[in-house]
Amino acid sequence: MILLERNPQAPRAWLGNLPVTSRYTFGLGGERFFRAIKDEGKILGTHCPKCERTYVPATIYCERCLGKLDEWVDVGSTGAVHTYTLLYENYDGSPREEPEIIAFVSMGDGGIVHRLGEIDPEEVEIGLEVEVVFKPKSERQGSILDIVHFRPVA
Amino acid sequence: MSMRKVAVVGAGMTKFVRRAQETPKELSWQASRMALQSCELTMDDIEAVCLGTAPDAFDGVHMNGEYLSDGAGAWRKPYMRSYVGGGTGVFVPIQGWYHVASGLFDVVLVLAEEKMSSFYPHAQAAFLTIFDHTTERALKPNLLWIFALEMNRYMTTYGISKEDIARVSVLHKHNAAKHPCALLGDADITVEDVLNSETLAWPVQRLDVSPVSDGAVAIILAAEHIAKRITDKPVWIEGVGWSLDTAYWTNRDLVYPRYVEYAARQAYEMAGITEPRKQIHIAEPYDPFDYKALHHLEGLQLAERGKAVELYISGAAALDGDMPVCPSGGLLGVGNPIAAAGLMKIAELFWQLRGEAGDRQVAGAPRRGVAQAWGDLMQVGTVVIMGR
Repeated sequence: MILLERNPQAPRAWLGNLPVTSRYTFGLGGERFFRAIKDEGKILGTHCPKCERTYVPATIYCERCLGKLDEWVDVGSTGAVHTYTLLYENYDGSPREEPEIIAFVSMGDGGIVHRLGEIDPEEVEIGLEVEVVFKPKSERQGSILDIVHFRPVA
Repeated sequence: MSMRKVAVVGAGMTKFVRRAQETPKELSWQASRMALQSCELTMDDIEAVCLGTAPDAFDGVHMNGEYLSDGAGAWRKPYMRSYVGGGTGVFVPIQGWYHVASGLFDVVLVLAEEKMSSFYPHAQAAFLTIFDHTTERALKPNLLWIFALEMNRYMTTYGISKEDIARVSVLHKHNAAKHPCALLGDADITVEDVLNSETLAWPVQRLDVSPVSDGAVAIILAAEHIAKRITDKPVWIEGVGWSLDTAYWTNRDLVYPRYVEYAARQAYEMAGITEPRKQIHIAEPYDPFDYKALHHLEGLQLAERGKAVELYISGAAALDGDMPVCPSGGLLGVGNPIAAAGLMKIAELFWQLRGEAGDRQVAGAPRRGVAQAWGDLMQVGTVVIMGR
């Protein structure tokens, strides 16, 4: 029996739902981080001098010592592929002809999880140097999707 | 049973606001950091972290305890979230207490956070889905009408007027006007204002209810030998108790909160309290609704059944009275970010018992206080006794 086929033995059931809609704020750290993406096309981190860590995406506190972070740094536009995966199915379970490439790109002591583009899936490898590709400034909204993808450094 | 003495040695809280710009993590961090700074400790001194936060739906993050962990200071430390609904804010210090009393840890950070403004369009809708999906949800119940049913039963049974119940809201909002973190403090509010406010679900009117809020509170607990090195004014956790009544509305006494009585008796026995009305000097009963403070004062054995309102009529409940009630301003005045609101009551006892409560300091150098919260499916009582 396939998954969605009706089972005549199943107990009687009816449908209900848990309706949840949330409105999220960027927060004090996110406000500055996403403004830099939107307005300047820059990726910012914050540095904790005590713990010698640079957090990307930037946060306003150090998770290790709970110190307040006010040393904001531009971490540049490139990073190395720390790890990646190739998605062969869409969100709805349908197959893809070409896989979507998702990578964790190291920046500072953290990094950004995003798509890789402008590259053949067979050419992706751990350690590959990639650079961020932003949408045109006029289309940026202050969202992680203001980044189109990362692509190999030319 | 051999248990170590546990003290509260530090406390911090954010302002309680209608809608915070900070993320839930950032609110957590602010409160944690203030608590650490209040007793000059660093994260190196903290051995474990206890977190309290109410339904995930408010912050809008499933597995919210894990999400909040970095703001809570849980990095590479033993960490656990406890959750008993609205009772969480007074349960999480109990969790912290047994972490230390057991001998497992010497210094523990206890944090409670809630950001209710994330829930859209209103946090009340988060409660639509806590009811039985077969017998109740089809009627679209929410907490306002559930409590209206309970309030009506309580006031009718004892013949208490809405005018007298409104005194609770008025006193708490007056007290909150002296709290620097309060959302709804109001030095000028009157019983008439409460009675003239919008009727939501009779007999509950707008000013009978605490406001939806965002905020976080943190405290630091320490074992006796450490506490005495950290501060010369430790405030001891002398007793703890918690108890759960039936989940069925139809099987519960709506007029008298037995779950609070059982939790209180457990805590009083541990604290060696035999006459709570004489031995308790400050009460912080849970007051999301004004009648609920009365209900809970009776469950805490601080008033005869149906008589708690007399504490307000006589003036005993005022800051300069014999039994100050909610000197903080309570949930009705300071605000009700669910878990954080309960822990706010613990922080208030800490400040009051150390004589650090500023303009709202109660008279007579109080020696002992009780804080209580209530929640889950309206049937859990959580109680902490603190003394110096």
